Amino acid sequence: MNDEYLWDKSGEPDPEVQQLEQVLGTLRYQPEPLELPENFRPARRNRYLPLLAIAATLALALLAGALWLRARTDSKPGQQHAANNPVAPSPVSSPEKKNEELPHRADNSIPAGQERKVFAANVQRRPRRGFPALSKTERAEAIEAKKELIVALRLASEKLNLAQRKANGPASPGQIRNQHKIG
Amino acid sequence: MRSVFKCISIIPVLAVLLVIVSGTSNAQEPRIQMSHLDHLAAKASETVDVNIDERLVQIAIKVFNDKDPDEAHIKKLVAGLKGIYVKSFEFDTDNQFNAADVDSIRNQLREPAWSRLVNVKSKRDSNVEVYISLSGSNINGLTVITSDARELTVVNIVGPVDLEKLAQLEGSLGIPDLGVEITKPKTKNEDK
Repeated sequence: MNDEYLWDKSGEPDPEVQQLEQVLGTLRYQPEPLELPENFRPARRNRYLPLLAIAATLALALLAGALWLRARTDSKPGQQHAANNPVAPSPVSSPEKKNEELPHRADNSIPAGQERKVFAANVQRRPRRGFPALSKTERAEAIEAKKELIVALRLASEKLNLAQRKANGPASPGQIRNQHKIG
Repeated sequence: MRSVFKCISIIPVLAVLLVIVSGTSNAQEPRIQMSHLDHLAAKASETVDVNIDERLVQIAIKVFNDKDPDEAHIKKLVAGLKGIYVKSFEFDTDNQFNAADVDSIRNQLREPAWSRLVNVKSKRDSNVEVYISLSGSNINGLTVITSDARELTVVNIVGPVDLEKLAQLEGSLGIPDLGVEITKPKTKNEDK
């Protein structure tokens, strides 16, 4: 049997292979234009969906930006407070170490052209308050809010007690009581 | 591939919807509108108008002194609150406000959002109504309305309220006296 025809169609044709070629040849790819059925209508692409998605993304970005700005603004007063009271870079507390780095001079003078390096200073720290994160205006606002809060709570408490007294106390003539129990 | 893009492009839309829905759910807080009572301030001899939202509550909390037991007590009480709103008017003469003013408040306090806890009506003394808003078994809002011929007070507290602790505040704390007469002493003639 000659295999050449089977591989590259050279040599003597093999009738069996030829027969197979004829049978399978009907299934060979034949280029022809795509014919769509008449009732076929391509689905219309929603033109607004991408725009809507872009708008929503922008809205989310704006929202995130606003939240970030708000959080940043809220945290600023504390940072400013810290900036106003800079801390020495490397506090040295032991007097021996201090003496090593700052040699004593009889006249306590600094040589010309040489700046005095201060590693620690006797800084009088402000007494720590109970509300360190508040700026001046915020503290004023907070104190005002506290006053109003107490006034509101006092009124609420008094009215609540009045209601309780009236509900539990002896009924005066012409008084209708109606107390609901909850729970 | 297109369907994947569609799915991805829908995500931000859903996220925005989620934000809107969450915003709407916040809007369902048990806060009542009292601004329509502002016109009474012109007629009143004494007015108390307190509007403290959640931000102000949180700021005010920072200046409470934890070492003072009274202030620590208040701080604990108001820590979770989302707002306190008070309008109180005292008049020199009778009938300066009408029933519609009170009804406009009362109409906002309907079930199922609100439950009336106490309702005391008196022809000679003041009327008192206490409403609470419940979230599950917890109180998340309180409204007290008191009215008589010469006084109208509405207190609206938004957020978790401990009624017992709130009632205990009266007579303590060194709270400054407003000069607003809350309970009127009964005369002998009234008792008869």
